[in-house]
Amino acid sequence: MKISRSVLVSVAAGSAAVVSSPVYASGVSAGTLIQNTASATYSSGAGSTTVQSNTVSVTVNQLIDVAVAGLNGSPVTATSTATLSYSVTNSGNGSDSFKLTADPNVPGNAFAGTVQTIAVDTNSNGQYDSGIDQTISAGGATPAIAPDGSLKILVVVALPAGATDAQTSQVKLTATSAIGSGTAGTVFAGKGVGGVDAVVGMSKGAASGLDSLVASLAAISLAKSATISDPFGGTSPVPGAVVTYKIVASFNGSGTANGVHVTDVIPTGTTYQADTLALDGAALSDAADADGGTASSSGIDVSLGNVAGGSANKSVTFKVKIN
Amino acid sequence: MNRFFVALAASAIAMTSAPAFAGAGSVSLTSDVKIDKVVVENGKETHFLTAPQKVVPGDKLVFTTQYRNNGGAPVDSFVVTNPLPAGVAYIAEAGDGPLISVDGGKTWGALKALTVADGKGGTRPAQDTDVTHVRWSIPVIAPGASGSVSYHATVR
Repeated sequence: MKISRSVLVSVAAGSAAVVSSPVYASGVSAGTLIQNTASATYSSGAGSTTVQSNTVSVTVNQLIDVAVAGLNGSPVTATSTATLSYSVTNSGNGSDSFKLTADPNVPGNAFAGTVQTIAVDTNSNGQYDSGIDQTISAGGATPAIAPDGSLKILVVVALPAGATDAQTSQVKLTATSAIGSGTAGTVFAGKGVGGVDAVVGMSKGAASGLDSLVASLAAISLAKSATISDPFGGTSPVPGAVVTYKIVASFNGSGTANGVHVTDVIPTGTTYQADTLALDGAALSDAADADGGTASSSGIDVSLGNVAGGSANKSVTFKVKIN
Repeated sequence: MNRFFVALAASAIAMTSAPAFAGAGSVSLTSDVKIDKVVVENGKETHFLTAPQKVVPGDKLVFTTQYRNNGGAPVDSFVVTNPLPAGVAYIAEAGDGPLISVDGGKTWGALKALTVADGKGGTRPAQDTDVTHVRWSIPVIAPGASGSVSYHATVR
């Protein structure tokens, strides 16, 4: 044996120039027996003889590997929440499940979203369907994933207060093998499928993927101006002069502002002039009715409904008389 | 599990010295497997061959068959045939390697001279992963002489 072992080493050294071996997706299944038997035929005087060698066996252990990828090619628009999609792939050679964590605090983020839900996209529609898609508690594990199999994972993220329009934020989903993780080569004895040993692979048993969301919010700005017309044809703020107030609302941002109201109070020392309320030059009755505008001695209120960012400016005017 | 298989292999090796294998005019064959770990230090590759304890996909194995002519007369036309176990892929030798079969041992040749069906009605050049059998020919083994043949494979 000793002699042939030295032969072996020389054979191995001779093959050092061999090109690296092909790469396989997940490899032969954990628990597989690799058995090698050689046979030989030869002639010796009497005739041909066949002999068999012994059989050597090696058991394939479980390799723990995982890959995670964000599936949203571009940031997902969030008006209040965004649903991000990720794939979690078992790139090991045995069934495994993976603990999931979603981290909204990625360096460079304009804001940190609030992770509301992590779920398996059971019906694979890219949307979180409560009651259909199986939720995974924070730090909880996926169902078992077969070797080379993937699960589509959804992460529902809410915009925080303070996020502004067009800001983006990344969310990192990390999947960690439920069997174990650590330095490549770490062995978890007997923890593999069927009781074989499990060995941590090059992924270190954990992997992360990124997706991002972009805030889509509306921004409203108001500009108020006043024009004075005194009883003498001038513009002096004297008693009896009429002041026309103009409030211009402009709408920016990529989102839609819902239920917009423009309100103002009648300044002290002035009196609202009945039936002078108007929106974009069209009169609005003072009474609370279908036209959305109301006015009284205390103030005005004009409902603009839902207004998309980028819409044309809205101009509200009303008149008061200086007492 | 592993311990069990290692023990099994060891006992099988022990068996080869038993009289059943070492009859007059007979040749004994002993199969062995080692894991081939490469350590690169100062740009120099060193191979360590160890009995496999933990085998996972991507590990490189060396399968060796030792032969010994235990008889009193030379044997000739000695041919060792080794079907590749399921779960491993052959690693081609840099120089002249064994004869290769990619069709279950029906035809033999150098790997680069062989072709396999490409699944589209044609053929393509055979690759390492297509190898099904390897074979070595030793013209004569003198009485008492021994040697070994080996091939490298990757756990798929």
